[in-house]
Amino acid sequence: MNLKIRITLFLLITFWVFGIFVEFFIPAQNYLVYIFPFLEGIYSTVCHQQPEKLIEINGHHTLVCTRCTGIYFGGLFSSFILLFVSIKNLNNANLILVASIPMLIDVALYSSGLYDYNRNIAFITGLFFGSAGIAYIYNGFKILRERDGKS
Amino acid sequence: MGNLNKKYISPIVVGLGAGVLIIVPVIKGLGCCLLIPGAAIISLILEQKASNDYSKLEIKKGVIFGLITGVTAAIFGTAFDFIITLITHTNDLVVAFPQFLETLDNFPIDDAMRQEVISLLREVVESIKNYGFSPLYTLSVLFNNLFSNSIFGMLGGIIGVQILNSQNQKR
Repeated sequence: MNLKIRITLFLLITFWVFGIFVEFFIPAQNYLVYIFPFLEGIYSTVCHQQPEKLIEINGHHTLVCTRCTGIYFGGLFSSFILLFVSIKNLNNANLILVASIPMLIDVALYSSGLYDYNRNIAFITGLFFGSAGIAYIYNGFKILRERDGKS
Repeated sequence: MGNLNKKYISPIVVGLGAGVLIIVPVIKGLGCCLLIPGAAIISLILEQKASNDYSKLEIKKGVIFGLITGVTAAIFGTAFDFIITLITHTNDLVVAFPQFLETLDNFPIDDAMRQEVISLLREVVESIKNYGFSPLYTLSVLFNNLFSNSIFGMLGGIIGVQILNSQNQKR
């Protein structure tokens, strides 16, 4: 996959991650308040946005829960790394299955009431999953491009 | 036409199911952003089982199945949300409106700007409370659902193809 596409994907993911934190930027860039309800609507379709699960800093909240923030940060991190490194052999699903196990265990354990929702655990388990997930998405794009005869 | 319908029956059925699930708070709380990608993967699994064909899947097929699943979920999700709002005269926006006002009050922004955003939202909320319907709200929900569900569906399809191919290799 050529650098132009990798940069485009990285920028799209950066844009998506920036949107999560729009509330934090409104004091500095007031006009963002106009897109705030619109962005909240967009993110509400991909996250439950339960107040107790959002990241809160100085009274400002993220627009998605801590786990989703972790997933998107993982995706952003991986997409940055993949600007410099290309995926060679990702011909099995072991990586994503292993990366999803901590997240699934966390969801199962706190849902069963064994412990309370922990933002740190949710963020870290999401981070693992997001990092691995984006590698498979890049690999998928790479295969698609190769099928089309482009590199 | 019949064959075409048969070919895409699994993403349509799973999309319909996902459309129902995305408006159930408990399910949405658990599935979160993985609900639609998960649905796209399930549609690929069902298609394999229905056709009894476990040969290597093309990424393109994953993208198409994910897109159909996402679009179907968006259309049905919006329709169910519309019907429920019409009957109950309330929805997430109405419930979250006081919290939203509080958030806007905390922003150190120009008051005219704040009032502009609040009046627009208040109009929508009042319309839902009085008539159970707001064209602006319905259109925005439909657009939001179509936008995010189709993207997340396609991403789920891309990942799903690779997971299924890996598992089918082991067979």
